[in-house]
Amino acid sequence: MKRYQALKLLAASIADDTIVVANVGPISREWNALRPSEANLLQVNLGLCSAVGLGIARSLPHRKIVLIDGDGNLLMNLASLADAANQLPQNLVHIVLDNGAYEGGGGLPSVTSKRTDLAQVALGAGIERSRTVDALEDFDVATREAQASPGHWFIAAKVDTGSVPDLPTQTMDGPEAKYRFARYIESSERIQVLRPRYTHI
Amino acid sequence: MKQAAVDAVLEGLKTAGVDFISLLPDSDFSQLQRIASEDDAFEYIPVSTESIGVGVCTGAWLAGKRPALLIPTSGLLVASWPLASINMAWGVPLLLLIPYRGDIGDAFWMMGPYKDTTEPLLDVLHIPHTVVSKIENISGAIVDAFGSTISWQRPVAVLLTGETIK
Repeated sequence: MKRYQALKLLAASIADDTIVVANVGPISREWNALRPSEANLLQVNLGLCSAVGLGIARSLPHRKIVLIDGDGNLLMNLASLADAANQLPQNLVHIVLDNGAYEGGGGLPSVTSKRTDLAQVALGAGIERSRTVDALEDFDVATREAQASPGHWFIAAKVDTGSVPDLPTQTMDGPEAKYRFARYIESSERIQVLRPRYTHI
Repeated sequence: MKQAAVDAVLEGLKTAGVDFISLLPDSDFSQLQRIASEDDAFEYIPVSTESIGVGVCTGAWLAGKRPALLIPTSGLLVASWPLASINMAWGVPLLLLIPYRGDIGDAFWMMGPYKDTTEPLLDVLHIPHTVVSKIENISGAIVDAFGSTISWQRPVAVLLTGETIK
């Protein structure tokens, strides 16, 4: 399964107001090309995608949160699966595009190319709706079901290494991405996120 | 930690407007953590490492919450990666509340290294901090630190030492 093709299917099924948190590297570049949106929080650094997503999911329980993670990224903070599972989120879809490699870091293999099964890890962590898919049709079915249903979902999608040529360059740095996302939350939720003060406390 | 100090911390957090707390259970904060985790004033997410706590608080802040991370001095070392890669790199606020183990007066030998790591690490991470040694100053310090972190969009730490944690 090609990662870009899987993401293309996800982009076709995702709602406009679904918040997406994606990890740094090729996944963010590909997702940004397929679904450019203020509802994206991209380039979240190693090991932190699931933690940041959990904080958003807990704070906005009425919104659907989709995490697009990588295997190496998640492996750095596996305990985040357990921490999230024990919160019993009803609005969290955790997709791991598992290519069994540190592609953004040069392509050396990760442990999922050998003995480690992330869906089993997630199940053991307490995420009951956990599965592995390795074909595009199954990915489409699984991600559509997870988006349409409440609960905490974990989908390990076995994908090939390799990206696609000529992806648009990402021109936003962290601060701009933060402001854009925070302003999106403010407008879509009618709440205040940014709170600069102009007086002493 | 005396009950008066626990009460002062909770008063400070509530007065500041903190509504979201994350923490990894820690002996120095255990009483405070137990009360705070059961207080309806706070959304509460326990975590398995402080690095996850930083991430969770980042997500909460981006979603409109006002978070604080209760974190031991050892946990600050664990959290240094997300504090650098998210908070420093993006400019994300976070109130860090830290029982300052290893400060002068802490006789436990194992805490000694934290005198060498804690304040220098905060400085390296560009995290302004204030050290509070009197219970009567806890609440005000938390209110001030929280106002600064939210407005400056960078973490600010309150280190509790002396009578505040004994």
